[in-house]
Amino acid sequence: MDEQYVKIGSVEELFQSLQNPGAVILCGGTDLVLKMRKGLLSAKTLLDISDLDQLREIRQKCGCIEIGAAVTFSQIIEEAIIGEQIPILVMALRKLGSTQIRNRGTIGGNLVNASPAADSAIPLLLLDAEAIIANPAGERRVQLEDFLCGPGKTVLKQGEFLSGIRVPIPDPDFSLFFHKVGRRKALTIAIASLGALLRMKDDAIDEIRLAAGSVAPLPIRLYPLETLLAGRRVTPQLIKQARNIIPQCISPITDLRATADYRYQVIGDLLARLLLTMPN
Amino acid sequence: MKIRFTLNGKQILVEVDAETRLLDLLREDLHHTGTKEGCGEGECGACTVLIDGRAVNSCLVLAPQVDGKELLTIEGLAQLSQSVSLSSADQGHKCGFHPIQRAFVEKGAVQCGFCTPGFIMSTYALLLKNPDPTDEQILAALEGNLCRCTGYLKILEAVRYAAQLMRGGK
Ligand SMILES: Cc1cc2nc3c(=O)[nH]c(=O)nc-3n(C[C@@H](O)[C@@H](O)[C@H](O)COP(=O)(O)OP(=O)(O)OC[C@H]3O[C@@H](n4cnc5c(N)ncnc54)[C@H](O)[C@@H]3O)c2cc1C
Ligand code: FES
Ligand code: FES
Repeated sequence: MDEQYVKIGSVEELFQSLQNPGAVILCGGTDLVLKMRKGLLSAKTLLDISDLDQLREIRQKCGCIEIGAAVTFSQIIEEAIIGEQIPILVMALRKLGSTQIRNRGTIGGNLVNASPAADSAIPLLLLDAEAIIANPAGERRVQLEDFLCGPGKTVLKQGEFLSGIRVPIPDPDFSLFFHKVGRRKALTIAIASLGALLRMKDDAIDEIRLAAGSVAPLPIRLYPLETLLAGRRVTPQLIKQARNIIPQCISPITDLRATADYRYQVIGDLLARLLLTMPN
Repeated sequence: MKIRFTLNGKQILVEVDAETRLLDLLREDLHHTGTKEGCGEGECGACTVLIDGRAVNSCLVLAPQVDGKELLTIEGLAQLSQSVSLSSADQGHKCGFHPIQRAFVEKGAVQCGFCTPGFIMSTYALLLKNPDPTDEQILAALEGNLCRCTGYLKILEAVRYAAQLMRGGK
């Protein structure tokens, strides 16, 4: 290996350096360092953005919160406005990795890495977050759903980078649900995960949003289930109906962590748990 | 390339390659072998050190990334001001021990000892921020550290005791 390393000091420098063939962005390194060591990735130049101040800010802006791509999970968890305004994000990130991983790993790295198990994507999908993409001509925003295109793939083009994520502040009346099933509680990659925002009205479900991880090529929203459940009262009959349409929403595979059948079962059970335990 | 950082209070200027891990810089180049390599993949926490007061896995950090930062390793902990000689367990020993180290020894939280530096660094990072943690907070702070010997209960006891020692209680 004969990589070069550059600590990036400004956005302009980053744009310029990204023009070089073989340049790869490095942030917390929790994915990248392992990939390099396993020989899965070779970089001519590593562009370290982890100290780039413009990408490390959290700010509130017109009904939204913008989080810079290089903000670490620990910073997000500790930030008071996030705990107050988008608690579902804190709830999910507390389950991500370990203290050490949360101290280094960033939200931008998690999204660009685009793993089917990316825990930060679940709350962000529920919140209809947008990815803010920077390019030399300016910036473009795309829904997170469209930003992620396949395992390890995003819509980022050559010369572009993810500058942050824009999260609309949700209704504070939503009840929150995030549950991740893995081999153990701590430091585990999800076998399957389910997140939800739910609001009840007059004994019926007024609004429900559902998203799941590790059960499709990417973390996904479960729209057919959302449509089925909206406006309905929770009955054993409804839970059965909901379980029956799960195969329309997800496409799990069998891998070293679990079988596809097990994943169908887990999503069904988590959904039942959600519906049976949600307060009116 | 040359990088400059503070290691356990001392300024260091050293030549590193871009792909060198912080763990290798510490162990191989700077001969600070208290920091251990277990898995090399962020799973076991044996390589835990503090960068600017936060616990991180030194096996996942590239050496050039610590340019300009402040690092603390297990070797530096004993030199911190609260350190005392290890009273009850080892009377004759003159070298200083940090209260967390003393607590781990006195509570029997060390067996083979391979995981111990990592656990102690994670404990230190926790107690810096939260001098009086609940058991739940202790377990959350240590979730990135594995121990194959102790069964964890003694470690939990040691951390509780260390917190008490550091708050000035006996
Ligand atoms: C032991 C361990 C446990 C883990 N547990 C979990 C878990 O429970 N849940 C989970 O979701 N993840 C988990 N992860 C993965 C998680 O740590 C990473 O996905 C992390 O969020 C990546 O962020 P980073 O800053 O470290 O990215 P890096 O490793 O620095 O980069 C990751 C990728 O993103 C690119 N990149 C980074 N930032 C940008 C940007 N702004 N613009 C364009 N490209 C960019 C890099 O080029 C690289 O390809 C775990 C990892 C380890 C090692
Ligand atoms: S050696 Fe770094 S976490 Fe195991
Ligand atoms: S004491 Fe042996 S691994 Fe913990």
